[in-house]
Amino acid sequence: MPAQDYVPIDQNWLENAGKLWTTPWVDKPSDRVIVDPIILSHAATLFKKNAGYFYSNPDEAVRMVCAACELYDVTPVGHYLFADYWGADYGAEMKIQANAPPGITKRPIKTPEDVDSFEVLSTEELVKGPTLTTHYKALDTVKNEYPQMFAPITQLGGTMEVATNWAAIEDVFMWMITEPELVDKLCIKAGDHMVNACKATADRYGANVMITGSVIASGDLMDREQIKRFSYNPVSRAVRKVLTAGAGPGVYYHLCGNHTDDFDMWRDAPMSPFTIVQIGYDGQDIFPTSKLVENFGDRCTCFGTVDTKLVDRGTPAQVYAQAKEQVLAGKDSPRGFILGTACECPTNAPPVNVHALVRAAKDFGKYEKF
Amino acid sequence: MDLKITEQADNLLKDNGVRTEEILDIIKNAESGGSKLVSKDGNTCIAKGASENLTIYAVYSATELLDVYTHKMNILGITGGEIKPVEYDDESDWVCAKCNEPALERNVDMAYLGVTRPGPGIVCPKCGEMYVSAGMAKSTLKTAEAILEEKRA
Repeated sequence: MPAQDYVPIDQNWLENAGKLWTTPWVDKPSDRVIVDPIILSHAATLFKKNAGYFYSNPDEAVRMVCAACELYDVTPVGHYLFADYWGADYGAEMKIQANAPPGITKRPIKTPEDVDSFEVLSTEELVKGPTLTTHYKALDTVKNEYPQMFAPITQLGGTMEVATNWAAIEDVFMWMITEPELVDKLCIKAGDHMVNACKATADRYGANVMITGSVIASGDLMDREQIKRFSYNPVSRAVRKVLTAGAGPGVYYHLCGNHTDDFDMWRDAPMSPFTIVQIGYDGQDIFPTSKLVENFGDRCTCFGTVDTKLVDRGTPAQVYAQAKEQVLAGKDSPRGFILGTACECPTNAPPVNVHALVRAAKDFGKYEKF
Repeated sequence: MDLKITEQADNLLKDNGVRTEEILDIIKNAESGGSKLVSKDGNTCIAKGASENLTIYAVYSATELLDVYTHKMNILGITGGEIKPVEYDDESDWVCAKCNEPALERNVDMAYLGVTRPGPGIVCPKCGEMYVSAGMAKSTLKTAEAILEEKRA
């Protein structure tokens, strides 16, 4: 649908949502905890479209996201991203899928020799590449049509995520055992790529937020030492370089998956004044917000989570109960709190479950501290 | 110490609202007291002077003032309260001149307009003196200060 087919965003809602959104970053008083269910292709289902349509039409995608933000009364930011960023820029083949985000079908790195000869693209080259061309089409739409919902992000992922978008995950994991130095090399290149990508967004829009962290590099697939070597260390180096290059200042550590064995390392990861930490799971269970606040609350903004499986397949009552527990444990976190989902809101999640998440924040996330 | 102040350095002083005497005082104090960072190749030093509202840094060689930068965010201390070993290579390119210890890249708590948040600092593990690099101050902290000024107004 073109822009004129959407109802303009309610300005009263936007003003209030903007206040709620400011609180976790700058301690500005507001009524309650803000909710960010990381709405991406889920917005498409509200318009009877699918994920394939969403990701093929970035301008429409963000219009749908912005409308969904108002509908659900959540963070007023127009997002557009998916996990398999940066492969296509280096020659990977992408497949648009009807019911899932775009996926890589063929990767450019196939042999150890490919790793050696692999060259990271410059900022200027990345700007012309397919990932940022699409990403910027979405962000430009938000900037032009929903300027108050514009908060540019750079979807970096962590070094292991970028590495496995360049080389098959089974190859990278095999090399981790047989030729770990090769994976070091790959992760260093991934870190350099992250810096160049972030510079591109900073050059175009100024201040922006980098989404990084550790998704593939989680406790279900790697042990603590491997996470430290191939994710935490190179990601930390890259974040420092990004900040030094003036390509921040927002840092969003998205630790998806199980981080029981490594979450504590991230306490010392490089942080800027606008840093947020989100951890998905503690073993098989949702990461308790009490534990998140205990470890990160005196450092940065905490992003408490509700299990995406529950949002996708649970009942509204189950979502509400878990959200209640998380919001009560997190709302008074000293450096700000946001309630959300462990990862992106599932595409086909029942809208009533997202509503239940927001209801819990409204019912139990009222601020008394201001 | 007789430092040359080029036209470029003079412009930096003006841009940052720092007087020449002020920056020379900061350098003089650092040289006499030893509280400064020295680059690992020994060619460049960073000295700082902090007031309640502004921290001023001078980057200089034996002969010339090379750079001047400032930040309004007030450094309070190490994020998390103390310097503990971390699990990454945190050694910076700088050495604390007073302690002759390699300075470490660590998060430091900074406060501005009533908000306290972390920021990337350079810290001596022995004396605990804390600095911010030119890159961080000119980019990350400048942006952070502008956002806080807008949002906290």
